[in-house]
Amino acid sequence: MSHTDPEILALRALGETAGTARDAEHAASCARCRAELARLTAVVRLARDTEPEAALQVPPPQVWDRIAAATGVSATLNGLAPGRPALNGSAAPAEPSAVLGTPVPPASPVTPEHSRASWLGRRRGAWPRGRLAGAIAGLAAGLIIGIGGAVGVAQLNQGPRPAAAQVVARIELSPLPQFPQWQGSTGTAVMRATASQQEIVITLRAPARSGFYEVWLLARDGVSMISLGDLSADHTGTFTVPPGVDLRDYSRIDISLQPFDGSTQHSKASVVRGSLPAAATARA
Amino acid sequence: MDRSSDEDVAAALCGGQPDALALVYERFGPLVYSIALRSLGIRSDAEDVTQQVFVSAWRSRDRFDRGRGTLGGWLVTITRNKVADALRDRQRDSRVLQQVTGGASVAAPEAPADRVVDRIVLTDELARLPEAQRLVMVLSFYSDLTHEQIARVLGLPLGTVKSHIRRGLQRLRSRLEADGVAY
Repeated sequence: MSHTDPEILALRALGETAGTARDAEHAASCARCRAELARLTAVVRLARDTEPEAALQVPPPQVWDRIAAATGVSATLNGLAPGRPALNGSAAPAEPSAVLGTPVPPASPVTPEHSRASWLGRRRGAWPRGRLAGAIAGLAAGLIIGIGGAVGVAQLNQGPRPAAAQVVARIELSPLPQFPQWQGSTGTAVMRATASQQEIVITLRAPARSGFYEVWLLARDGVSMISLGDLSADHTGTFTVPPGVDLRDYSRIDISLQPFDGSTQHSKASVVRGSLPAAATARA
Repeated sequence: MDRSSDEDVAAALCGGQPDALALVYERFGPLVYSIALRSLGIRSDAEDVTQQVFVSAWRSRDRFDRGRGTLGGWLVTITRNKVADALRDRQRDSRVLQQVTGGASVAAPEAPADRVVDRIVLTDELARLPEAQRLVMVLSFYSDLTHEQIARVLGLPLGTVKSHIRRGLQRLRSRLEADGVAY
């Protein structure tokens, strides 16, 4: 019998039960196919073992300056050149009343169905579309997220919270390697827990651009996301984590630049991003 | 970007093109910096190591032999050495501090964990897959969807999804074999 179809081996490496019983028999008895399967399985294991936090980080701009100085190389970077700031005066969003720091009001406790609404690109009202179309929209948004955890419904977090208000974590937000135009932008997110809720205080240092900056919580599944609200004109904002949202699932903070196009979905223009440390997302 | 552009970057470096270092840095800066950052944990230290790696690569570019390995693998090797040096410096500093203060002993320095390097190499290659293929691979790895479900959700023919998966896995594997450490 010929060797197992490479596509079947690839699917089996992913844990699917692909191929016929004869394929399985052959793959088990043939040294070559067995070795091939082992190599592919090792790739899959490494990939699944790779946390979302392992996403590549772009070195800050001064590193290249120092390299250029040390080597005498004068070339400028093409892709990593900082973007040209927008004209002065266009910094303030055009519709301030609509975008100035309006955190999503704490809604009723999140049910699993409620969480799934994030597949539909929820913000102020879900998209009136079928589940499949919504899933595709969510997946398209997931493209910008890269690697995520396993798809799953956000778990309820109804455990008791710390009694006193306290700073739980301070997270640096940095640009993603695939968006060199945001190179040089940074942000911080300070997480505070009060007796009844969790707050995230955002400060963004990014050029003024047309549009507005919006703050998101991204789930580990790389698909689901929750809009926390928009940054004010000075690029700051304080947001309440909606009750019931489990930050162990929604463990990344993302800031997007949103055009004034009326869409409630993530624009895919991720400016900066950061991960909540595990300690900050642990159940109190 | 695909594998051939890595080879273009390597060719530019070997050919001594004046903008070659910028090309190499743009392509591999995040890889080197991420390995350094994950291994050292402190941004300023990772920045120093990143600088050292590219300065050293530039000065010793004559020693890079394209016939013997990839540029990525060569840079990963330099990075691991520089990280080991940084950890040794750190240990020496803390030993001095320890002598001064009579404090507790410190752990011996280690090269970056091989698996850390491999994960970052994999992340880098995954990010370089064409968009549709990357999405298929991400769903294959991190969702519970089968390839049939992925095909349905993405509206792609089953054969396309299967081919993306096979080629995607092979490409990740080749990259890991070339530039990875423990894989």
